[in-house]
Amino acid sequence: MSGATPAKLASVGLVTTLGDSLEENWSRLVAGDQSRFSQRTDLIPGETRLFGEVREELPEIPAELAPYRCRNNQLALAALGPIRDALEAALGNFGGHRVGVVVGSSTGGMAQAEAALRVRASEGQMPARFDLAQLEFGGLSEFIAQVSGAAGPCYAISSACSSGAKALVSARSLLELDLCDAVIAGAVDSLCALTANGFFGLQALSKNLTNPMSRERDGLTLGEGAALFLMTRETGGVQLLGCGESSDAHHMSAPEPGGRGVETCMRAALRDADLDASEIAYLNLHGTGTSQNDATESAAVSRVFGPETPCSSTKPLVGHTLGASGAIEAAFCWLLLARRQGGDLLLPPHRFDGRIDSDLPPLALTREATQVSAPPPAAVMTNSFGFGGSNCSLVIGEAS
Amino acid sequence: MSPLVVRSWAAWAPGIETEGDWQGWVRAPTQLGAEGIPNVGFLPAMLRRRCDGLSRLMLFTAQHCCEESERDQVTSVFASRYGPVNTTLSMLADLAQDEPVSPTRFSHSVHNAQAGLFAIWTGNQQASVSVSARGDTFALGFLEAVCMLHRYPDRSVLFVCGDEALGAPLAELANPKVGPHSLALLLSRTGPGQPLSFRLEAPAPADAARGWPEGVEFLRWMLSADPSLRLAGHRRSWVWTRG
Repeated sequence: MSGATPAKLASVGLVTTLGDSLEENWSRLVAGDQSRFSQRTDLIPGETRLFGEVREELPEIPAELAPYRCRNNQLALAALGPIRDALEAALGNFGGHRVGVVVGSSTGGMAQAEAALRVRASEGQMPARFDLAQLEFGGLSEFIAQVSGAAGPCYAISSACSSGAKALVSARSLLELDLCDAVIAGAVDSLCALTANGFFGLQALSKNLTNPMSRERDGLTLGEGAALFLMTRETGGVQLLGCGESSDAHHMSAPEPGGRGVETCMRAALRDADLDASEIAYLNLHGTGTSQNDATESAAVSRVFGPETPCSSTKPLVGHTLGASGAIEAAFCWLLLARRQGGDLLLPPHRFDGRIDSDLPPLALTREATQVSAPPPAAVMTNSFGFGGSNCSLVIGEAS
Repeated sequence: MSPLVVRSWAAWAPGIETEGDWQGWVRAPTQLGAEGIPNVGFLPAMLRRRCDGLSRLMLFTAQHCCEESERDQVTSVFASRYGPVNTTLSMLADLAQDEPVSPTRFSHSVHNAQAGLFAIWTGNQQASVSVSARGDTFALGFLEAVCMLHRYPDRSVLFVCGDEALGAPLAELANPKVGPHSLALLLSRTGPGQPLSFRLEAPAPADAARGWPEGVEFLRWMLSADPSLRLAGHRRSWVWTRG
């Protein structure tokens, strides 16, 4: 799969419940900070749950882009902030038509559509402020193109919780095919009643904070956020080294129990990166905390990596940000490589109640922030699996 | 971009279902019908019950485009501007009344539901991407199919692009109006079929209004004798040439 073309993750912007800057995200990530979740009573009738809501005030959508006004696009705008300088340089060097946009989302501006339908139920018509561009996933990519000046290929990828990871895969193809010199690639998802009630109805929403790999685990905790990379054809730095994709062909909302599809996906990513499993310094698990995901994923991880590779789920720190999770977790991987300390990498802790599920194969879960020896060039992997059986694994690493 | 080959195709619009129907339509294109739904009696009953309008449209054309022996071998790209929006809309109506959301409907409301149903139906475990790109959804879905041929050069890619008619109250907000339609193309790098090249060019003035969507315009061109097709996209234009 991978060609000779480098795919540099040149710059990244990141917004999660941990904060709206790279520094806040990094310091709270390695501190294992679980204090940022908010209790909300307004999303599910009669239920109170914790949500990984972004707490900072978000930038306003410019007046000329009023049809795109929704929280999802505000999160995108916030994540664009830190990559603005790199983006301006790319636009200047290559021209707008050589800068593409490939972004994932599974919610888009669903919350705005929910509000509009409530207005219609009480007042008989949709509010004038609602625009289909808020509901269409292509509205997100279009909004990013309009605010950034990118004028190359521009589209959204929406395959549930693998969307963000798959956006990076497609962005790399655009670079390899020489259709773009730079691509704004990542994903954005925002909290809404639809996903909260949907997962609640599936009995997949945790009563307390998500507790992945515990024998007491009872589901996921939802979060929101955005991660946008500027990917370029430059050498050096942190690169997208390998991508694996597969389909379960099993069930719309449950993983194939044997984890065959997931295993295929991780092995494909390793092959694409031309690395052995033993060369992966850290695995960022999909780790949603649902009974089925954790059983499937640990079985497959154990077959591919054995019990030694340090791994963690970062969802107990930011929640499951659905389509954005693949990009957000790729950004966490980027951060731990970019913030390396000499020959060591600092890995985020796997926060849970410590009550290991002995029915699951043993994994090397990072119980505290862990310093591991991983001289450059180091590589790490992140997993994303979505409804419809859509699987994607990314290998992110330092250029050799 | 390297040339590619359209190995086979299938399309559906109200009253225009077979290759013969389409050949006839191409000779005198008229506005497509606004209502109708394909028969997906070929699907097992369990799966058929899970199919909304968009799934019926996309799986009908996928089935007619791609032979059974190959259905679990192809990679796939499913492109839809609005996705399974009527399933989403029915859940939004329930939420507006503080009613619970059906778990089955929720899991079938994802934009890749049709890709998931295709994989479950055929046992296909290959890579699949689901795309949405406003008025450029057909062209950018095609571009993603080109990316798939790049990533998996030894496999054909099944590219399916379609939309269902939007229910109230979204229908009146859509511009242009959307009628139910789907086009499936089986693309590969080499082999028998219609060779094409595809490229991006500088923006062109908007196309004159047509009574049919971009995918169907592509099919009209492919079945015509015209040497090339240019679709004016939002920021780029998209050009297909024979050979």
